[in-house]
Amino acid sequence: MAAPSTSKAEKAYIQASLQASPPLRADGRTLLDFRTILLETGVAPLANGSARLNIGKATQEGGGGTEVLAATKLEVEDVETGDGVDGGRLVCSVTCSPSAYPHMSSIALDELQYDLTTILNQTLSHPSLHPKNLSILPGKKSWLLSLDLVVLADAGNVFDALFMAARAALWDTKVPRTRAIQYQTRRSGYASKNTDAMEVEGESNITSGFDTRDMARAAADFELPDYWDEGEVLDGRDRWPVCVTLNLLPPVHFLDATLPEEASTTIKLLLAFSFPSNTQSSLQAMRLTGSGEVVLAQMKLLMADGERYAREVFHALELKLRDEDIRRNVKARDKFTVR
Amino acid sequence: MQSNFDRRRINGPEESHPPLYDHEEEAEPSWKLGQPRKGRAAGDIRPIFLKAGLISQANGSAYIETERTKIACAVYGPRQSKTTVYNENGRLNVEVKFAPFSCTRRRAPIRDAEDRSLAVQIQQSLLPAVRLELLPKSTIDIFLTIIENDGMEGCIASGSVAASAALADAGIEMLGLVIACSASTMGEDVWLDPSEQEAQASSGSLIVAGMPALGTITNVWQSGNMTPTQVIQSMEACQERFVDIHTIVAQALLDNAQNT
Repeated sequence: MAAPSTSKAEKAYIQASLQASPPLRADGRTLLDFRTILLETGVAPLANGSARLNIGKATQEGGGGTEVLAATKLEVEDVETGDGVDGGRLVCSVTCSPSAYPHMSSIALDELQYDLTTILNQTLSHPSLHPKNLSILPGKKSWLLSLDLVVLADAGNVFDALFMAARAALWDTKVPRTRAIQYQTRRSGYASKNTDAMEVEGESNITSGFDTRDMARAAADFELPDYWDEGEVLDGRDRWPVCVTLNLLPPVHFLDATLPEEASTTIKLLLAFSFPSNTQSSLQAMRLTGSGEVVLAQMKLLMADGERYAREVFHALELKLRDEDIRRNVKARDKFTVR
Repeated sequence: MQSNFDRRRINGPEESHPPLYDHEEEAEPSWKLGQPRKGRAAGDIRPIFLKAGLISQANGSAYIETERTKIACAVYGPRQSKTTVYNENGRLNVEVKFAPFSCTRRRAPIRDAEDRSLAVQIQQSLLPAVRLELLPKSTIDIFLTIIENDGMEGCIASGSVAASAALADAGIEMLGLVIACSASTMGEDVWLDPSEQEAQASSGSLIVAGMPALGTITNVWQSGNMTPTQVIQSMEACQERFVDIHTIVAQALLDNAQNT
């Protein structure tokens, strides 16, 4: 992922300035500052939930920065015959646009995609984060929630951007309401009718042992009671984790590295935290990448620091997402009524 | 999938289902909160069988077996890099292959994403230990064949141990032997070296790799729901076990060196 043309001298220069006191970064940030993060939800009209995230857009030039697009799409899966799993499943995939990595061969790009996909998939589709409302008919039909992320541009810190975009898209996801229906033969006639599962009258006095009508009592299919763009939000949407990447350059560490900074640090610690409540925190993923070593005592300090940074990012993101909710739902509705 | 179709292989039927066995394990109720671990204590690891130098064709090799995880590892190199690009550091190339019969469900003999994710983790465990700066323009190839698979955690941990033993057997300079150990959280407890069933029942799992000789950590992989305290607790528990595993690896290397 490193920029192809970072010379040894350049790397040494960046390292020395990061380790200087006070530390210096090319864009004037302190070690723990993030670049500006821009986020917009609902950018893909045909997706069930979507978000577009940019870290470090240059305001004057109107471009630059790491840009990630995330979108979720729901599909009905058959549990009995198809690939479906009872209770639904979540599958993530990351695609890297070749324009974001112009110096990479297509094989290297494929491998990068694999690696990014693996960490997202292992983290987000873990059973401990599974949303509860992905089931349609228990044992028969369920939703497949596919989360697709596209890296449109990479200016460093792609992991944090991916996790934030994933969280925003999953937050934005609406699952269509479904209602189970069943087909039932009327006692007297042969005509069949559609009955709402809720309204089926109790069949209490079955006399014949050959009466097999009870077998087909389970719901056979489902219908969508409302429009496709309505629906309920995904369960547990405030649990999705955020990731902070700690770039380690002993004795210091810094956040939100740009590409040249990434190229000059050898070791990174990725921490994905989720904060189900104000007091609790749970680690959802941890990875160490690069060719350096750490000791356990150092790791403990890094985890404590990482938790603090992640909490800030998590709350800032949640605030923004609630803001987006209001902008897109409440304000849009008001505008519609005025018209 | 269609593009990966290889007509030179016996590809098997297009659609197949694994047979359903009437497992005695499945007949038993699965683990419930508060129950003690079956068969061993929470801090116990499974017995390890390790033998170096089983593959005579390779520069170095090792075979590791921890109950139902069986991995063969071969190291070739250091040899000249095939690519013409100059690199002042050597390259460490890790490839993991699942035997088609290694899992409950048959694995097609085509490389898939899981092979790569295991290879990446094993490479990460070894990378800080191998002195690649001494081997410019060269490549070390490590090939791991998983003969029997008992959970990804066990495969990564045992694979890393086998690969570092094989590297030492090949006489490649390292800063220390790399040892790896996995742990799962079951309720409040930490169970070391979980099997596939245990890992599935757990709320989160962790793999730590490091060099006990230097007291450093080279790789940490964690997934699932764990509190920071649990993570530190598991990492400490794993590090305690490192010494035992290190002894096994050192003994296996010594045995092989004395016999040849």
